Amino acid sequence: MLYSFSYYKPKSEIEIIETLKSFGDDAKILAGGTDLLVYMKQQIADPKVLVDIKGVPDFSKIEIDSSGNLIIGAAVTCNDVVENQYIRNHYPILATAAKTIGSYQIRNRATVVGNICNASPAADMAGALLVLDSSVIIATEKGNREIPIKQFFVGVKKTSLQQNEFVKAIRVRAEYKDAEAGYLKASRIKGHDLGTCNVALSRGKNGTVKIAIGSCNITPVLLPDFDSTNIDLANILTTAMKNIKPIDDLRGSKEYRKHLVQVFIKRLLNGKGHSH
Amino acid sequence: MAVTINDRKYSKSVSENRTLLEFLREDLYLLGVKEGCGEGECGACTVLMNGKTVNSCLVLAVEADRTVIRTIEGESKDGKLNPLQESFKKHHATQCGFCTPGVIMSATSLLERNQNPAEAEIKEAIEGNFCRCTGYRQIIDAIAEAATLLESEVKK
Ligand SMILES: Cc1cc2nc3c(=O)[nH]c(=O)nc-3n(C[C@H](O)[C@H](O)[C@H](O)COP(=O)(O)OP(=O)(O)OC[C@H]3O[C@@H](n4cnc5c(N)ncnc54)[C@H](O)[C@@H]3O)c2cc1C
Ligand code: FES
Ligand code: FES
Repeated sequence: MLYSFSYYKPKSEIEIIETLKSFGDDAKILAGGTDLLVYMKQQIADPKVLVDIKGVPDFSKIEIDSSGNLIIGAAVTCNDVVENQYIRNHYPILATAAKTIGSYQIRNRATVVGNICNASPAADMAGALLVLDSSVIIATEKGNREIPIKQFFVGVKKTSLQQNEFVKAIRVRAEYKDAEAGYLKASRIKGHDLGTCNVALSRGKNGTVKIAIGSCNITPVLLPDFDSTNIDLANILTTAMKNIKPIDDLRGSKEYRKHLVQVFIKRLLNGKGHSH
Repeated sequence: MAVTINDRKYSKSVSENRTLLEFLREDLYLLGVKEGCGEGECGACTVLMNGKTVNSCLVLAVEADRTVIRTIEGESKDGKLNPLQESFKKHHATQCGFCTPGVIMSATSLLERNQNPAEAEIKEAIEGNFCRCTGYRQIIDAIAEAATLLESEVKK
């Protein structure tokens, strides 16, 4: 049995902020719980108060804002994304990445926002959202603020969220609607293990190639933009190698990871990993 | 909390720190719901919550307030196995049986959203269910045949 804690399920954004304010460091947000409850069972985390965000109806929505951007609410699950026809048609890389996460049961609970808030270097949604130039909408005591997702990851399991803040949604730029993008991931056992490494790649309509690499540094890494009209493979691979610092662990050696990253980049440039 | 489990309504108080798995097994004696790993890996604890499979070891009981839960106990009616369960029997898809309730719930959810699953779709649906005995072949065959049976029943 888990240690004792209290549980709140506020019905609005303001109520969530108020609850976070009254409990400070003792409180943690609960989304799907597929990371948090495991940490609590393993005594890696011991929040005294859980603030369930699934009680706010708007947070379960996948919507299009007035500028045509895609909005993914904080309670949207990975399977919601996999099954959403609009996403499959226009941002298929999100469905592809979401589908690689855990098992079917896990994806019914695991949220996209929880995946990035957990901020594992291996987080599968991170790379896909990075190459679509997404931003994170953060609810604070003083209203909302929005930051590019590359500023969100600051360390292993560390985000730039401040006290009494939480993520209410992710905004994916309309500029990346129908953009060519792909995702490749290596893992030992699908459904039960985090990836050994992963690479996401997009070609924007503005002529840039964006590449993100996971499980090869303390955070998911977004490389500087490349020019898609003049692909210089040698330069891309050198830049990639300069920006990652993979480690040896039970999932693979650093040399193996470096090799996989190069293979994945080449395959993605050749259009592999793009279909869903 | 108020919850409907296998068509029966329950109103019970439960402390925050209990998982749905503990609530189902220890308070309601629904012992078909198994605990293997307790961490979302093995799928032995799989139940349907509002029609979707979840690992009940990673859901708090309080999170199930006002939901509809289905466990293996509700799948046979009047002492008769349902077609999926019959198919498991026929194909010897159960050996020690520990994984079976979870596998059946995953397969039930698959067949409710997809009446004609391809083998790859069957494998995906049970990717979160570990079976240490059968080697999965019998399980896949059992689900495939149940799908054919159910489909022909729908056509009738
Ligand atoms: C068996 C298994 C397999 C897995 N496989 C994969 C995999 O292949 N790839 C992968 O990337 N992950 C995997 N995971 C990890 C996990 O499922 C994902 O990271 C998931 O997306 C987390 O989302 P959640 O909603 O469950 O988050 P929770 O567990 O609810 O929360 C995770 C963390 O983020 C915080 N948080 C959540 N939402 C917010 C918010 N809105 N604002 C601020 N903070 C918030 C929580 O406080 C907590 O610290 C796996 C987990 C398990 C148990
Ligand atoms: S006991 Fe829940 S997944 Fe293993
Ligand atoms: S029958 Fe023994 S674990 Fe599946």
